[in-house]
Amino acid sequence: MDTTWYLVLSALLFATGAGGVLIRRSPLVILLCLELMLNSANLALLAFGRNLGNADAQIFAMVVMVVAACEVVVGLGLIVAMYRRRIPLDVDENRGLRG
Amino acid sequence: MIDTPDIDYAALSPVIALVTGIVVVLLVGLIGPRGRRGLSSALTLLTLGTTAGLMIWQLGEPDTDLVAGALRSDGLSLTIGLIVVAAAAFVIPLQLRDPAAEEAGFGETHTLLLGSVLGMVLLAEAQNLISLFVALELLSIPLYVLCGSHRSRTQSLESGLKYLIVGSIGSATLLYGSAFIYGGSGGATDFTAIAEGIGTDLADDPLVLIGIAFVAVGLAFKVSIAPFHQWTPDVYQGAPTPITAFMAVATKAAAFAVFARFFITALGPSADQWQPALAALAAITIIVGNVGALGQDSLKRMLGYSGVAQAGYMLTGLLVGSIAGIDALVFYLAAYTLMNLAAFAVIAIRERETPLGDDITAVQGLGRDRPELAWPLTISMLALAGLPGTAGFMGKLFLIEAAVAAEYTWLGVFIVVGSMISLAYYLRVIAAIWMRPAPRLAPAIAGAAPEAEAGAAEPPSRTGRAGRALDGTPSGGRCWLVLGAIIVTSAATIVFGIVPSPLIDFSIHAGEAIISMLGV
Repeated sequence: MDTTWYLVLSALLFATGAGGVLIRRSPLVILLCLELMLNSANLALLAFGRNLGNADAQIFAMVVMVVAACEVVVGLGLIVAMYRRRIPLDVDENRGLRG
Repeated sequence: MIDTPDIDYAALSPVIALVTGIVVVLLVGLIGPRGRRGLSSALTLLTLGTTAGLMIWQLGEPDTDLVAGALRSDGLSLTIGLIVVAAAAFVIPLQLRDPAAEEAGFGETHTLLLGSVLGMVLLAEAQNLISLFVALELLSIPLYVLCGSHRSRTQSLESGLKYLIVGSIGSATLLYGSAFIYGGSGGATDFTAIAEGIGTDLADDPLVLIGIAFVAVGLAFKVSIAPFHQWTPDVYQGAPTPITAFMAVATKAAAFAVFARFFITALGPSADQWQPALAALAAITIIVGNVGALGQDSLKRMLGYSGVAQAGYMLTGLLVGSIAGIDALVFYLAAYTLMNLAAFAVIAIRERETPLGDDITAVQGLGRDRPELAWPLTISMLALAGLPGTAGFMGKLFLIEAAVAAEYTWLGVFIVVGSMISLAYYLRVIAAIWMRPAPRLAPAIAGAAPEAEAGAAEPPSRTGRAGRALDGTPSGGRCWLVLGAIIVTSAATIVFGIVPSPLIDFSIHAGEAIISMLGV
C-alpha cells in the first residue's frame, strides 16, 4: 500500500486530536485527545521509516511512547488532586485565571 | 575484545553532576523527616554549584559532539546552561519559606527543579530531533508538576493543568513536524544531516515545509511567541511565585538555544526563506505582549505579558542568524535573567507579607516602608523597559544593532516602539512603589483582593493554617539570603549596564559556537 494513505490517516488522527482538545470540556477526554495527537505523529514516523527503510523512526516512536506515558501520569495526578479538592472537572468552569 | 564506544566524560561532566545530584537529593528527601529544608536546599545548591563549575571549565575546551552526535557541547550550550543553573540557584533560597514547597516537600520540589534544569541543559545541547524532543519533555513535565505543587490553592492546580494541556499541544505539534522533516529529508534526524537532506530550496518539498512550520509552532509555544502565548499570563499567575521566576527565565533561555541551533544548523542554507516568517512573528509578539500588559493589575500577569514582549525582542536576535545576532540574544537572555529574577523575588516576598497576593497594591508605599525591596524592583522595572544605564538597555542596543546589520531595520523600529509602550506599565509599578501610600490592610481592602477571597472561601485546612502562620512572621531569620540574592542581581543589572564588557565576553562564546554552524 502507498505510504500516502498512512500519512492521510495520521493527518486525520492529528486533526481529530487537535479538534478534541479545543472542543471537549472534560480534562480526561482532553488527555485522550493529546495521546491521539502524539500517536498520529508516531504513525507518520513509522510510515516514513518503513518507506525509507530506516530504523531511526522506530526508535523515535518508542521514545515518544515512554514520554507520552509520563505526560499522562502527571495529567491524571493533577486531575485526581483537583477532584479531591472538589474542583469541577470541566475546563470551562475553571476560570479563576483570566484577564 | 568488545569495541566499546568512546565516551567523552569531561564534556559530559555537567550532565553527570546534575544526574548524581538529582538522585542524592531525592533519596535524602525520602529518608529524612519532611521538614528538612536546610539539608535539601544545601545539597541542591551544591549540585548546581558543581555543575556551574564544570561548565565554566568546559567553556575553555574545544567544541565536541557527544553521545554519537545527539548532543553538542559548545559555547552556545554552555552559556545557556550557565544562565539556567544560575536561575535555579537563585530560586532555591526563595523557596525556603514558600508555602508550596512546604506542602509538597522540599526533597521532591528540589528533585523536580533539578530534573527540569537537566532537561534545559540537554535541550541547549541537543542537535538531533530525538534528543530535542526528549530534552523538551524532560524540561516540561517537572514544570507541570511544580506549577500544580501548591495543592491547597485552586489557582495553582488550575495553572498546572492548563500548562500541561497547552505544553503537550506544543510538544505534539513539534513531534508531528519532526516526523515530516524526517520523511522529507530522507530519514535524517541529526541537524547537519537534515541540512544536507533538504538542500537550499524549501519550496521544493511540501513535506519539509509542513514539518518546519509545525516545529516552529511547537517551539513558539515553549518560548511564548504570539499568537501561541495565551497560556503564559495564566500559568505565570497561578504557579507558585518562585516557580514562575524560574520558568520565566530558564525555559525561555533553553528553548531559544535549541530554536537557534535548529534554525541555524538544520535550516541555515535556506535562511532567506524562513526569516520573513519569523520576522512577522517577532513583530506581532512585540505588539501583542506590550499591549496585553497595559491593563494588568496582577504583577505576575503583567510580567507574563512583558515576557511575551521580551520573547519578541529576542526572536529578532535569532532570526537574523548572524554571529552578532546570537551574541545579542545570549546577552539579552543573561540580562533578562538578572532583572526578572529580582522582580519576581520581591513579588514573592510581598505575597508572604501581605494578604494582597501579587496585586499591584501589594507594592504600594514600598519606597517608604521597605527601601531594600523598593530599589531592586524599581531597577528591574527600569531595566525591563530598557532605560540607559541598565543591562536591559545594552541588550536592546545590541539586538537593534544586529537587526540593522542584517537589513531588518524595521524590526529595530518595532523594538523601540515596543519599549515605548512598555514604559506605560513599568512606570505604573514604579509610581505605586514611590508615590502611593501603603494600603491599610483593613478587612474590606483585603477582601477585595482575589487571592484573599479565594482563601476565605476555602475551608481552613491544616496546611493552609501552617502557611498563614509563616506568612504572618515578619521578614527576618533566613530572609537575608533572599535579600542578598536580590541585591546582587539588581547591582549586576546596573553594573552590566554601565560596564557591559564582562557580559559581552560571556555571550561571545555563544557567537563563536555558531561560526562552525554557519560554515556548513
